[in-house]
Amino acid sequence: MIQKTKAISIRIEGVLVPTREGKTILEAAREAGKNIPTLCHMDGLKDVGACRLCIVEVGGSGRLAPACTTPVQEGLSVTINSPRLAAYRRMVVELLLAERNHVCAVCVSNGHCELQSMASSLGVSSVRFPYRYPALAVDLSQERYVIDHNRCILCSRCVRVCAEVEGAHVWDIMGRGIHSRVISEMDQPWAEASTCTSCGKCVQACPTGAMAEKGRAVEEMVKRTEAVASAAARKGSRI
Amino acid sequence: MSKVKLATIWLDGCSGCHMSLLDLDELILAVAQKADLVYGPLVDAQEFPEGVDVTLVEGAVSSQEDLARLRTVRARSRIVVALGDCATSGNVPAMRNVVPVQKILDRVYIKGADVSPVIPSAGVPALLPQARPPREFVQIDLHLPGCPPPPKAILAVLAELLEGRAPKPLEVKFG
Amino acid sequence: MRKITIEPVTRIEGHAKITIHLGADGNVERTQFHVTQVRGFEKFTEGRPYYEMPGITARICGICPISHQLASSKACDAIMAVRIPPAAAMVREAIHCGQMVQSHALSFFHLSAPDLLLGMDSDPEKRNVLGLAEKHPEIARDGIALRKFGQSVIERLAGERIHPSGIVPGGVARPLDVVVRDAILKELPNAQGIAWRTLDLFKCILDGFPAEIANFGKMPTMYAGLVGNAGQLRLYDGRIRFRNADGSIAAEVDAPDYAAYIGEASVSDSYLKAPYYKPLGYPAGIYRVGPLARLNAADCCGTEAADAELKEFRERFGRMVDSSFHYHYARLIEAIYCLERLKELMETPAILDRHVRARAEVNAAEGIGVAEAPRGTLIHHYKVDENGAMQWANLIVATGHNNLAIGRSVEQVSKAFVKGDHLEEGMLNRVSAVVRAYDPCLSCSTHAAGVVPLRIELIGPAGELLDELSNER
Repeated sequence: MIQKTKAISIRIEGVLVPTREGKTILEAAREAGKNIPTLCHMDGLKDVGACRLCIVEVGGSGRLAPACTTPVQEGLSVTINSPRLAAYRRMVVELLLAERNHVCAVCVSNGHCELQSMASSLGVSSVRFPYRYPALAVDLSQERYVIDHNRCILCSRCVRVCAEVEGAHVWDIMGRGIHSRVISEMDQPWAEASTCTSCGKCVQACPTGAMAEKGRAVEEMVKRTEAVASAAARKGSRI
Repeated sequence: MSKVKLATIWLDGCSGCHMSLLDLDELILAVAQKADLVYGPLVDAQEFPEGVDVTLVEGAVSSQEDLARLRTVRARSRIVVALGDCATSGNVPAMRNVVPVQKILDRVYIKGADVSPVIPSAGVPALLPQARPPREFVQIDLHLPGCPPPPKAILAVLAELLEGRAPKPLEVKFG
Repeated sequence: MRKITIEPVTRIEGHAKITIHLGADGNVERTQFHVTQVRGFEKFTEGRPYYEMPGITARICGICPISHQLASSKACDAIMAVRIPPAAAMVREAIHCGQMVQSHALSFFHLSAPDLLLGMDSDPEKRNVLGLAEKHPEIARDGIALRKFGQSVIERLAGERIHPSGIVPGGVARPLDVVVRDAILKELPNAQGIAWRTLDLFKCILDGFPAEIANFGKMPTMYAGLVGNAGQLRLYDGRIRFRNADGSIAAEVDAPDYAAYIGEASVSDSYLKAPYYKPLGYPAGIYRVGPLARLNAADCCGTEAADAELKEFRERFGRMVDSSFHYHYARLIEAIYCLERLKELMETPAILDRHVRARAEVNAAEGIGVAEAPRGTLIHHYKVDENGAMQWANLIVATGHNNLAIGRSVEQVSKAFVKGDHLEEGMLNRVSAVVRAYDPCLSCSTHAAGVVPLRIELIGPAGELLDELSNER
């Protein structure tokens, strides 16, 4: 017998939304057909609240909280769209664009990129922060895939899908703050990662052109995120 | 009512944005009906004039000369529009930013020469350490990203500006 | 020593300027042609996956991104060691024809026609494409329509008009659709009509430019261009032929061997390097590329109407035509050739084949791709490591080959038209016009269609300003 969690309800912008204890605000909202923008969330993977796109205003004080990691409570009142939230979300995207080198024009994911689409849908047409232009590497050592750190937004979907779904745990994040970076095994070239099974889930899970299939020219890397997400979700339900 | 004074210039860009403007095809003649093109590709003017209403700027700021020209444009224009990804984010010209200028000059002119290796310096402007977007140097009133921005996006912006209105928020896309 | 500076000169990538040095007698002693922009593509692409190069190098130029994408993808083909499917080669060549047509249309109508049809000395305020549209509205509309046709061929075959995504290593991204093929065939007669009547018009007005023909880079040089096995004009593929001024063939070179014949020299006063013909050394090894040079280097065009025009051209000006003014004429003949060639390709059933892409990994450490850009021979040379990361790139761009020739032409025109202490606006325009004749590459030839924004200062020996001329009103 499947144990059901307790049924509760919250209010999203004043509208009563039935949900269950144990869900996050993000899950409750999406199940009710209300969208909250996200980048580091992927269905089937544990949420980590890395990107901060999903911040919402909670309770009477309008306290900011990431919807993907905040559990629902009976009677909780949430605002998921407001001018303040829109401004913060734009700022998050602008910070991401300024942090590394996102040259959309010549990127393999141009036209199929979640960061690019997010910028468009939030109306980001320029970045107010000075671009950092850091010197970052491209690792072409792996036979089938390539990781370009210039395009990485440190969402950690690759880390989580490899650890939680494939079970190989090739990827991790090393360093702190601005020096954080995705590494394979003990910070080795990808080809030397002995646990890698070449399954490519990380590539499909990656929201930008940071990870791609080799040989895909500009605009050609169309991700099959849904396929990986549903595999992840199915695996989760068997646990 | 007098015509709007329109100008275009390009800095460190490839001219693709100007080509996209020309991709308005016959409609460019209609634009020319509403605006006096006082400087740029379609007009004979030696110096950037005073009192320009709208200037479209393509390209990143990469050399001393780019910077000087940009500042002149800003001082003499009411509205400055950054046209394209290079003028918005640096784009491809900014890919050189992770390499010290001296290394670039060395690769191109010393290692890249079969004879007479010499780094040009006479009569050419010095490169800035990095190619950066115009907004880091002057106030930009509107950004229109794209590589290049589609002609209809350029037309939508021009149509509003030429009527003296602020353009509505655009559906824009980098790249 | 008195010095005149013309700044900016338009129509080459970035900005250029010209310095004219006058001797004590007031006559022109020497000139300098400074290109004032450098991008660094050869350096900053190190580390990138080689198969991104067509997309990246497209951004060298917004007028002829196709040229770079073709040369680049050919270099990538060589790294992959593939022979691309025949249909892919045909589609690539068709895109190339579209590009040549739109670029030549831009060069002729938007840039040069104001000088040629309104006059070199005509009112500078009207000497641009808008003035042209006022005085000759049909001609302006023709120009816009011809450019539009070329651009729409590119868009339909390659995905976008500017920096398209459809030219890829191994071939092209999409096969040609029969609906598109039929539409292009339907539109071709109109485009051809424009090209023919433009050339007819140009032939009529040619007699009005004797001084220009005599002084716009009229000098013996070698000429270089791609040719096919029968010595015919080739734009997408072929061997590089070097032909001497007297008509004898100096060399015919396969693309991979270019480096034995083409060297590059750096110059202290310009960011544009000067390629030269290695066997003759620098600067004796001066050669020209581009429409005029291609027609000199090739035996024939290989299509009917273009060959008829070429025959007439040679009857009028000689087998080896050496005045750079005739780049304009040659450009129009090439436009006619490209439209005929495009028709041939569209009428070849095999171009509709669905297999248009070869796939492979890195199979060679080096790849060289050569194609004819509208302005001349373009060479992309890449070296990669075993994973496909770019290690080194050498790009010799079309206008670069003409650097020495442009410099000499500027000197020749300045000496013929600039008289020491008395500056005239038309002189100014002619110095710019000779540069314009080469249709210098690498973007923004549209900087000032028809008229170059120029300022000339005549500085005396003590640094005092003796005279100043500008086309500012």
